Amino acid sequence: MAKPTPDPTERFFDAVAEFGYAPLLRKAEGTTRFEIVDGKRTSRWFVTANKGHLSVSRRGAGDPECAIRADKAIFEKIASGKLNAVAAVLRGDLAIEGDWRLLIWMQRLFPGQRPPRRTRTAGYARRRG
Amino acid sequence: MSDGVVKILDGNTFVVSDEAGDIEASLTDPTGLFSFDTRFLSKWVLTINGQRLGALSVDDLQYFETRFFLVPGTGTVYIDAKLSVIRQRSVAAGFHEDLTILNHADKSVTLDIRIEAASDFADLFEVKDALKKKGTYSTSTRGGKLVLGYDRGPFSRATEISATKPARVDSEGLSFRVRVPAHGEWTTGLDVVTARLGGGQAPVKVADPARARARMARDLDRWISAAPRIECDWDALKNTYRRSLVDLAALRFSPPIAGGRSLPAAGLPWFMTMFGRDSIFTSLQALPFTPELAATTLRALGDWQGVRLDDFRDEDPGRILHEMRYGEMTAFEERPHSPYYGSVDATPLYVILLDEYELWTGDRAIVRELEIEARAALAWIDEYADIAGDTGYIWYKRRNEKTGLENQCWKDSWDSISYRDGSLPGFPRATCELQGYAYDAKVRGARLAREIWKDAELAAKLEAEAADLKRRFNRDYWVADGEYFALALDPDGRQVDALGSNNGHLLWSGIVDKTKAKAVARHLLGPRLFSGWGVRTLAEGEARYNPIGYHVGTVWPFDNSFVAWGLRRYGFKDEAAEIASGILEAAEFFDGRLPEAFGGYERSQTKYPVQYPTACSPQAWSTGAPLLLLRTMLGLEPQGEHLVVDPVLPQEIGHLELLDIPGRWGRIDAFGRGRVDVTKRLRSRR
Repeated sequence: MAKPTPDPTERFFDAVAEFGYAPLLRKAEGTTRFEIVDGKRTSRWFVTANKGHLSVSRRGAGDPECAIRADKAIFEKIASGKLNAVAAVLRGDLAIEGDWRLLIWMQRLFPGQRPPRRTRTAGYARRRG
Repeated sequence: MSDGVVKILDGNTFVVSDEAGDIEASLTDPTGLFSFDTRFLSKWVLTINGQRLGALSVDDLQYFETRFFLVPGTGTVYIDAKLSVIRQRSVAAGFHEDLTILNHADKSVTLDIRIEAASDFADLFEVKDALKKKGTYSTSTRGGKLVLGYDRGPFSRATEISATKPARVDSEGLSFRVRVPAHGEWTTGLDVVTARLGGGQAPVKVADPARARARMARDLDRWISAAPRIECDWDALKNTYRRSLVDLAALRFSPPIAGGRSLPAAGLPWFMTMFGRDSIFTSLQALPFTPELAATTLRALGDWQGVRLDDFRDEDPGRILHEMRYGEMTAFEERPHSPYYGSVDATPLYVILLDEYELWTGDRAIVRELEIEARAALAWIDEYADIAGDTGYIWYKRRNEKTGLENQCWKDSWDSISYRDGSLPGFPRATCELQGYAYDAKVRGARLAREIWKDAELAAKLEAEAADLKRRFNRDYWVADGEYFALALDPDGRQVDALGSNNGHLLWSGIVDKTKAKAVARHLLGPRLFSGWGVRTLAEGEARYNPIGYHVGTVWPFDNSFVAWGLRRYGFKDEAAEIASGILEAAEFFDGRLPEAFGGYERSQTKYPVQYPTACSPQAWSTGAPLLLLRTMLGLEPQGEHLVVDPVLPQEIGHLELLDIPGRWGRIDAFGRGRVDVTKRLRSRR
């Protein structure tokens, strides 16, 4: 029997695990605990960054450097780049304790929004000389 | 800011009150207790037997602590001078106030003491723009505490007010009925704590206020003693120097992202937050004095460097942020400041700061640590900033047309960029100083690539691009009939031909052909730009010139410090000393604390510098201006492992010593004696 398609949260953490080495996160060190709340069910994920190398597990030992807690719906919007994580923290949609930098670095992994139209103006079109 | 407004602060928590220590804010009035861009207290009024108090004196003990001496009655006639009242207030996680009442009479008195308290929880943006709130308010009186609350969905903020002496607490304040013996006193502590709750968040942990005060006092002493010492014949300069160091200490803050390290915020009251441009300019100014600010600024701005295309935030990959905010409107994305990226100078300036920091400190490790960020910043210049399409220049045009910034250069007011006749160009715009910064970033980036990243290919590419940019710039921006550089290019590539102080930044960047530098220097010190105090943002004679127009005629101390550095770079040492002299003499009129801007009136006309009406003070890059001017006058320039000292000082300074200048050389002293007669030019003008 085929494995059921993982839900967006699982897909996200699978993607983080596959990232392996992320140069943008090379300064991040420590573990971030994600608590994703889906009704009465809370699932936990631990993302550990070590000089740009990322690993994901479902179990963590000791106190994480950063603890994040959010509703599943909110989290999935953030993970898919539809919602800004910083605004969500300020609003109270995403609870965070500990070292904020880990969240900011993590956000760098979240996919971007649609690319903008390039602003080009007619008049000054080409470099002269 | 009007006179009689007292400000104390710690990081981005600050209190603005009247001279009696009272707060009675209206929606548009920036008084109150603010933290993280939210007003947590908009009313805080003390009465004794129903009577307000009048101020005898106010002592600023430290930047985070003030003492108010008061007597009952607010008029000129004191109704009862048998009582005096001392409020000593310090900021730390809200504020703590020690209220002391002294009875000078030879019999005891019974007093009704009342503190009225309320909060509108306004976002700073709402205070600036007078907007209405969307959430709901609450008050509760639990366990001897008054808790004021505000909620909007998951967003929740609260203010907790309590006293160390038993008080009757109601929804509008705290009351005490006390008996003060003859020649005795009564005292209570009052604590106002700002709390961010909700979303499952634990309240922010509150440090013990007394310990926080002691920590801040120790930290300030350390800060002052680590900076170079100054000795000179001119007492006012010593005072200005000390004021600058203390204000710079006050303006430091530790955003949650900086991992406990601090960087300069932009200014009080509106700008106690991380600004890319302001933090970078201030770090550059302070490099010879407090180099650690630059390191933190580089790291924090690097952490937040743009990684994606986001129209709402005007974000691109590699772009350095413009402004970060924490208030309600940012939280609900009614404003894009989480963070907002709408400035185009911060990104090249980032590379400039990284190089200058290494030149001073020899800290190669940070250049390696931030290699990816610096490369991304350099790439941004070519890949994202040239929005007019393969022109080889940096342009700006906001993608967030609702709440983004129109002018994304330092002169960011609506009318700052104009033609001589006063008309305004369309967008995109390519202001001239941006091209200078891009040139300098490429030249400095090439040095970092060659010497530290060991990437000769990138170095050669950047050098070729810089040379090409310089050649094109000197052709496309040069206003031949005026012999200066145009303010900008318009969307059709035509010159926006007004004369502005931006020319001085071009000298600083090194983009100006040597053959053109003399004409530029002549303009900067000429009657149209130089007021006698400093260089005006826009030259007299331009249609939009206005001596009290924000970026169209006022004199900005920060601007002048870079103009002076630029003059010095091209060998105009006397001219640099003249500007330094004008700005430092102006500082004397402001008791050593330069405002953001002052009027561009001719010096001989007003005799004193007229403060711009709503100027921010203290403001970080104004605070940094005397520091950069000291560096400029002393001709401090790192060369290899050494510090070159080549002083050219204005006469009135007399003897000047700057001792223990930190850098890759360890600590070095610089000495100089004033010899430039700065009054000559002004005399000849009358």
